[in-house]
Amino acid sequence: MTTEALIQLESVSKEYRLGFWLNRRVHALRELTMDVRRGEVFGLLGPNGAGKSTTIKILMNLVRATTGKATLFGQPPTNRQMRRRLGFVPENPAPYEYLTGREFLELAAALAEVPRSETPARVDEVLAAVNMERAANLRIRRYSKGMIQRIAIAQALVHRPELLVLDEPTSGLDPLGRKLVRDLILSERRRGTTILFSSHIISDVEAVCERVAVLVGGKLVRAGSVAELLTNQVPAAEVVVEGLSMEAVKAMPITLHQVESLDGRIRVRIADEQVNQFLGAVVSQGGRVRQLQPERFSLEDMFLTALKEAGPRGTVGGEISE
Amino acid sequence: MNLNAFLATAWNGFREARRNRVTVVVGVFALITLLLATLVTQVTVVTFRRVMVDTGLGLMSLILVFLSIFLSSGLLAREIERRTIFLVVTKPISRSTFLWARFAGNLLTLFTLLAVMVAIFAAEMVLYRFPLDASVWAAVGMLTVELFVVTAIGFACSSFLGQTVSAVVTVGIYLAGHLSGDLYRFATKAGGAVGSVGRAMYYLLPNLDRVNYRPLATYEVVPELGVALKSAASGVAYGIVLLIIASVIFERRDFK
Repeated sequence: MTTEALIQLESVSKEYRLGFWLNRRVHALRELTMDVRRGEVFGLLGPNGAGKSTTIKILMNLVRATTGKATLFGQPPTNRQMRRRLGFVPENPAPYEYLTGREFLELAAALAEVPRSETPARVDEVLAAVNMERAANLRIRRYSKGMIQRIAIAQALVHRPELLVLDEPTSGLDPLGRKLVRDLILSERRRGTTILFSSHIISDVEAVCERVAVLVGGKLVRAGSVAELLTNQVPAAEVVVEGLSMEAVKAMPITLHQVESLDGRIRVRIADEQVNQFLGAVVSQGGRVRQLQPERFSLEDMFLTALKEAGPRGTVGGEISE
Repeated sequence: MNLNAFLATAWNGFREARRNRVTVVVGVFALITLLLATLVTQVTVVTFRRVMVDTGLGLMSLILVFLSIFLSSGLLAREIERRTIFLVVTKPISRSTFLWARFAGNLLTLFTLLAVMVAIFAAEMVLYRFPLDASVWAAVGMLTVELFVVTAIGFACSSFLGQTVSAVVTVGIYLAGHLSGDLYRFATKAGGAVGSVGRAMYYLLPNLDRVNYRPLATYEVVPELGVALKSAASGVAYGIVLLIIASVIFERRDFK
């Protein structure tokens, strides 16, 4: 992976004007600055209404930023030539349902300027990649949601893009469908494709992304590599002891985050740096340590903390003002 | 402009209409003209040709104009509402090219249907030993111009309005376009501010009566070529201006 940024956003804001007199303003995105580097899988994480889709729509030239600057391959999103190098799967994709899967991919290939002589081979290649060969000649209106998602991914890959932008690609899919999408992302990464991937499903982001940005209420609240964000969390451990009373444990000169009694045993949650001190105290008072488990912080913990810090703004999407 | 992408999009528009069974209107046309012919032979001999041409061309125009409004007025709005457009305009095709290609696809559908209807109509006329003369061909030619203008109006409305409003406005402009001559006469008589507004409206609206050669065809009057060409050129120019305006609006709007 190089440090060359394929996507750059500098202080990008988007404000929608609503109402008959256009006097109600919704701040969908505020001063977003971030970049996506060549070869990486970058995750945009956030609750519904956080501004993830707005960010992607600005990059895809579906909406215009109110202020700030967005570039892909160093070009503005309006640049037509630049779009030859990117593939896009929108949230809840809607391909033309009167076409068959194969016809839709042939149309996508023509639009993406794939030479006619190469089109049949490319279409077969992507149909195989998304495991849709058997349904290729069926009208899309007969497809299930998972099949539509797969054909939408296939149309984004038909011209072998360098950059793939996926808006909620696993949303609404069953576990099998989600796994297939995750595997496709990983296989594209192996081919060197840069991927920007938005989701509110944290486990999906954690499974495939190297770096993430967390958006809440239209604002960037966390950004960095997944490892970096997780190590910034305060490590802790869970210890289960027996042979001591609850009072004796509580009287120890140690900060206990959580104490509870379980069938004569006591489970405590303590900061990592106090574990040795706690174990020493337990042994010296005649207690026994039955279990010691370091807590693994997940992206979910980090996400929930960020959401809590954002307060009510985090749960309702962009700010609305008159 | 990427010609391959343009042709693929236009062909896709034609395929959409065909697969949504729009071609059924040809069957309706054939059935009605056949019934009319049977009926007319029972009541008249002298004016048979006149009635057949009048009803045949009128029916063709009615069916195709309303089909044109139905197909064009909601097309762009429907693409945006259903989000099918997201998978297209994010490819290396400009929004304007997409709009013009969809317009071409709609015209291809309408002109194909018109050709089939004319063939049915001609076969029927030949059957009754009334070959089609130049006046009928002139009326058919001008009907293509009328369809061009109505489709352009539909696209222009659809570039910034929702499906229903766009359809209502397109029908309104179509009807007003056939009355614009009367509007001009009224404005001239009224004078003053009302007259000025009336004249402004006249210049803004298409003059669809100028491309309506069906009454001439009914009475076997062959129009002057120069006049016909001028009317056709003004209709096409009006449609192109509307499409350019629609392209500018469509290029700039947000797809939320």
